[in-house]
Amino acid sequence: MALTAPETWSTFRITLIITFFGLILQIPLGIVLALALHENLRGTKVFRSILITPMLLTPVAVGLTYRFMFDTDLGVINWALSLFGVDKVNWLGSQTSALFAVIIVDSWQSVPFVMLLVLAALTAISPSLYEAARVDGASPAQIFRRLTLPLITPTLLVVTMIKIMDFLKLFDTLFILTRGGPGNSTTTLGLWAYKTGFTFLELSRAAALGVLIALVTMPVYLLWRKASRGVR
Amino acid sequence: MKIKRFLAYTLLGVGSFVSLFPLFWTISTSIKNRVDTYTLPPKFFNFTPTGKNYTSLFSLDAFWGIYLNSIVITIGSTALCLVVGSLAAYAFARKPRFRGRSALDGMMIAVRALPGIVLLLPIYKLSSYFGLYDSKLALILIYAGFNIPFAIWLLMSFFEQIPIEVEESARVDGASSYRMFTQIILPLAAPGLVATGIFVSLLSWNEFLIPVIMAGENAKTLPVLVASFISNRTLDWGPMAAAATVALVPIVALTVVIQRWLVAGLSSGAVKE
Repeated sequence: MALTAPETWSTFRITLIITFFGLILQIPLGIVLALALHENLRGTKVFRSILITPMLLTPVAVGLTYRFMFDTDLGVINWALSLFGVDKVNWLGSQTSALFAVIIVDSWQSVPFVMLLVLAALTAISPSLYEAARVDGASPAQIFRRLTLPLITPTLLVVTMIKIMDFLKLFDTLFILTRGGPGNSTTTLGLWAYKTGFTFLELSRAAALGVLIALVTMPVYLLWRKASRGVR
Repeated sequence: MKIKRFLAYTLLGVGSFVSLFPLFWTISTSIKNRVDTYTLPPKFFNFTPTGKNYTSLFSLDAFWGIYLNSIVITIGSTALCLVVGSLAAYAFARKPRFRGRSALDGMMIAVRALPGIVLLLPIYKLSSYFGLYDSKLALILIYAGFNIPFAIWLLMSFFEQIPIEVEESARVDGASSYRMFTQIILPLAAPGLVATGIFVSLLSWNEFLIPVIMAGENAKTLPVLVASFISNRTLDWGPMAAAATVALVPIVALTVVIQRWLVAGLSSGAVKE
């Protein structure tokens, strides 16, 4: 039953969309911020503490905050956009923009995590490697592509796997921001399992979905463990 | 080099602004009158602060009970996590290999990997069966169950830093394992216990999925109350922001305290085997 229900597959597709675009946004942002912190400029510690803050905050409260920041008529985000001549966006009211809003809020809380892990990887790279590259006349872009990127790739793999699992878990902000709506357009597999179990009170069906989610998580989990052996 | 520095500072500056603005905005909305809240352009600083939203929040019949629930459940589950976690972490740290170690590792990680909903469905069924639905004790146990793996990981790294020689000399002096653990190891790992305790309490304080499934009126926690502000169609931003602020402020305060261990704690369990 759970496998043949159209919602199972549509919510699975939505989970994939959120995961895909979330990763595309969060990984590069995390890398860039980590690189900036790694410059060890004056005030780095303060910046780091500030940048970490979002990941510690209660997701439910964060969801509420964004809920009124995203308001169509009086929200501060549409107001800021209007300064640049952008028309009002009905953020939480239409499918595409609601998905976008969910990804933005998740990114706001998740980029710090990516940043921290990448920063740890950057710190582990021996400065003498950079020294040597510079002596050989490599440009900053070359150093990043040929030296930094390959060295942080194992960490990026780990981060990607953890993030995929986190997207499968996504619940709190989603629940607050859109409740999976409009319609079911932002309902992920996990939220669908919740709705099935606790809104429609079909616990066994929800359990079947739970098993499905566990099966989807499994390969990611195994890849994560494999990848994490490459990082020390 | 100058361009690079300029770029880095710009990034960090913009990043910091984006990170802090929502926090600022919630707090400022929580001390605004309706007139100042629903207006364009938004008022950032030019408004007269008011405590009205807080008085209306605090005068909710259920508020203090819920607040107390959150505190009791957070403290209870954190204490449990620290007791079980420190014993387990010590064993893990001192005995890298024993029968069943990798199975235990696997199970611990599964809790981190699997979505809560997958684990909570059977827990929900079981606890209704045992009459533990909507009980604070059940919430304490479940929170602890979810957070103990995290506590173990974090504590392990602290125990590993204690040189084995300390233990050897204690043994020579005839200390029993129990005495050694409670009187030598734990005091040495005190900063780790504090950091872990704060992290676990953050997780418990923020937890939403467990109480939304497992708690009715009796064991309701703060995030559930905060979430209930949006269930009605008319959104009243002021009290909503006040509720969010009440949930957020303790966290900001705590993180200032654990600044030193923040990085270790936040990335713990991600890469280390």
